[in-house]
Amino acid sequence: MCAGRVDTVHLIHPFLEGADGVFVGSCLAGECHYDTGNSQAVGRVRLVRIILESAGLDGRRLAMKMMSSAEGPKFVEYVTRFVQDLKEVGPLGVIEGITGEDLRIKLTAALRAVEGEKVRWVAGKRYEFTETGNLYGETFTDHEIGRMFREIVADECDLQEMLLRLGKEAMTARDLAARMKTSPPVIVRRLSDLLRLRMVEMSDGEGAPLWKAT
Amino acid sequence: MTAPDNSSSQEPKDGEELRIGVFVCRCGTNIAGFLDTETVREYAQTLPGVVFAKENLFTCSEAGVSEIKRGIEENRLNRVVVAACTPRTHEPLFRATCEEAGLNPFLFEFVNIREQCSWVHKSARDSATNKAKDLVRMGVARAALLEAQTEIRSPVVASALIIGGGIAGLSAALSLAKRGFEVKLVEKKEEMGGMLRFLGRIYPADVDAREIVSARIEEAANHPNIEIFTSTQVSDLRGYIGNYTATLRGPEDRSEGITVGVIIVATGIRALVPEGLYGYDGRRVVTQIQFEQELRKGGDLPHQVVFIQCVGSRNRERVYCSRICCMTAVRQALMLKEKTPSAGVHILYRDLQCYGVEFEELLRKAKKVGVRFVAFREENPPVVDDGSVTVISDVLGSELTVPADRVVLSTALLPDESGAATSKLLKVPVDADGFFLEAHVKLRPLDFATEGIFVCGACRWPCTVSESIAQALGAAGRASVYLAAGEVAVEPIVAVLFDEDKCRGCGLCASLCPYSAIEMVETDSGTKARMISVACKGCGVCASTCYRRVIRMEHYSDEQMQAQISACLKGS
Ligand SMILES: Cc1cc2nc3c(=O)[nH]c(=O)nc-3n(C[C@H](O)[C@H](O)[C@H](O)COP(=O)(O)OP(=O)(O)OC[C@H]3O[C@@H](n4cnc5c(N)ncnc54)[C@H](O)[C@@H]3O)c2cc1C
Repeated sequence: MCAGRVDTVHLIHPFLEGADGVFVGSCLAGECHYDTGNSQAVGRVRLVRIILESAGLDGRRLAMKMMSSAEGPKFVEYVTRFVQDLKEVGPLGVIEGITGEDLRIKLTAALRAVEGEKVRWVAGKRYEFTETGNLYGETFTDHEIGRMFREIVADECDLQEMLLRLGKEAMTARDLAARMKTSPPVIVRRLSDLLRLRMVEMSDGEGAPLWKAT
Repeated sequence: MTAPDNSSSQEPKDGEELRIGVFVCRCGTNIAGFLDTETVREYAQTLPGVVFAKENLFTCSEAGVSEIKRGIEENRLNRVVVAACTPRTHEPLFRATCEEAGLNPFLFEFVNIREQCSWVHKSARDSATNKAKDLVRMGVARAALLEAQTEIRSPVVASALIIGGGIAGLSAALSLAKRGFEVKLVEKKEEMGGMLRFLGRIYPADVDAREIVSARIEEAANHPNIEIFTSTQVSDLRGYIGNYTATLRGPEDRSEGITVGVIIVATGIRALVPEGLYGYDGRRVVTQIQFEQELRKGGDLPHQVVFIQCVGSRNRERVYCSRICCMTAVRQALMLKEKTPSAGVHILYRDLQCYGVEFEELLRKAKKVGVRFVAFREENPPVVDDGSVTVISDVLGSELTVPADRVVLSTALLPDESGAATSKLLKVPVDADGFFLEAHVKLRPLDFATEGIFVCGACRWPCTVSESIAQALGAAGRASVYLAAGEVAVEPIVAVLFDEDKCRGCGLCASLCPYSAIEMVETDSGTKARMISVACKGCGVCASTCYRRVIRMEHYSDEQMQAQISACLKGS
């Protein structure tokens, strides 16, 4: 199996199953057995690291290293170092201060985000944007792509998290903002977008309206 | 954190009861010497879906193989897991064993507890045993979701398209035609023959280049299996190994469609025109090809000739060595000396590339008859004046002025101008210098990564005639493997578009596929991706890229892999 087969979904799923870290190994740069699979994997790993970080998790939990099949000692070195790093970081969510239901929701939101079309689309286009150029022949630097990814991905993860929380119970914008540790105005703006898309509905509550996912 | 509840059902898709058999190999002491295989076997027996578990001394031996077969028959196994060594060497055997016992070979799962366990944890028996249990648990989880697959077969049209009618293309064409295959030989120029049409007596055989090539052109033209298209280029190409449709654009823009099974690229080289270098004027300062014409005519030859090597090459723009120009300079120098022994010849070089027995001999001979060799450094190039050339000798460290009534520039050799277009059309790669890039520099020197397309001759790298011919015969041999078989068989580990309705036809999968195994087609419900299974190598890039998530990798589906990962994380 080529590293190019590694889907963003495969990278998030193990965390939901209890993994504290995920390691991706691939062929050396420029020596992919399947042409460019490894460099595409690099892009996906970066994307998922951004997602983990935007969920408040430590980016060191996801690592990727390149090596040839003749480099056994290197593999050992990389994995040993990764395990050491992970031991420092500790069990998932603990040093990050996100545990229990919150962690589950964050990771589920992340999984939904990478299963969703929007994030998959930008992930797929990354290669084109950085290597061959978009429709207008513009290519972007990794830095620019990183920024673009961060915005789109953070947005999408937040959105999914809102939907997940509002799917469980109806609550006010203020309560939702408090649970998500963001500011109420941001949440309100998002909620009105979601309302327009009929993805949430509003009902009368005591003092403030209650929101619920449809 | 708690794992989500995704207790997958232990039922195969068609509803039959899951009956997994696990065979744990001791591999003599290779495995059993470092971990407890009996504990692993006992553990395997407790895993969901497992109805039978057995330890073998050597699973790959006669005895082991018949134990698998008996296991399948007596226990009505519908999945087999072998925990042993590497699929690299033994997967074909165990798959065949399953097949012989009436089980689809793709319902077999290999777990490596030797290379990936016993051999690398030799001093930790307990941990190695536990890891082997983990690996077996993962294998069993995956096996539960395996599905039967059938080998993919597709016919190969017994005809080859050869692009380029130089000595390489001609040699490949004749070789295939003589084996009874049809050949369409396409040459963009009016005349066939390539570079050899412009050369005189060539080395090492000291034969007339035009004679060799004319003989082959005639033979090809008269061969009933060869159809020659001159002044023609390939303008469009569709299809895949075994079944390519090419559009040929000939004289007066006439188009013709042909269908072939394989393609050989033999588009050759051209020489750099040294415009603006060393006072090049095509009369007094000429190229090797121009000097070749002078030698060939054999009239009054110049008396003082200076060759300058590496013109426009091995510099920042073109770092590579064109490899055959040193030999050509030495050959031309010798030919001049033969005709006019009193002629003064200087070869100004940076490094001499005269490889192989014959050309080394040529070099010795040249030195013997008095051809002078002067080394210079890139940063101190020779200066061409009226009637002389001045050079700073790298050996003497001092300036040297030599008389010159002819200066011959040994220029860089470049790939044909059509290289980029050909590369795009066939979707085969070129390197940074525009030469075609083979699938593997050592192991697959005449293949492209895309199956069914081959490369030979100077379009791969500047080379001599004998090298061109050797490669052409090799490429024809490679091509004939497919032509003779009449069909290609592919392991069914391929991508499938499982929900065409959901495909939006964005084309990202097709553009990223390294094997051109996906084409975009117009259907009644819009543009859709179509998988060309015979061309697919199963890398999975398309599946992980598809934003609609409608591409599945057979035998490595998301579900199968995730089941394995979940099993790994569940712990024993
Ligand atoms: C000055 C000089 C001296 C040499 N001396 C010697 C020597 O003494 N001994 C020796 O062994 N070798 C010598 N060589 C090398 C020799 O010329 C090559 O090895 C040989 O020509 C390579 O053959 P080829 O068929 O690969 O390419 P070419 O001879 O270049 O033929 C390629 C053919 O493909 C055609 N073509 C290109 N693109 C397309 C397209 N897109 N569609 C259709 N047709 C296309 C071209 O028009 C051409 O006819 C010399 C080369 C040079 C430049």
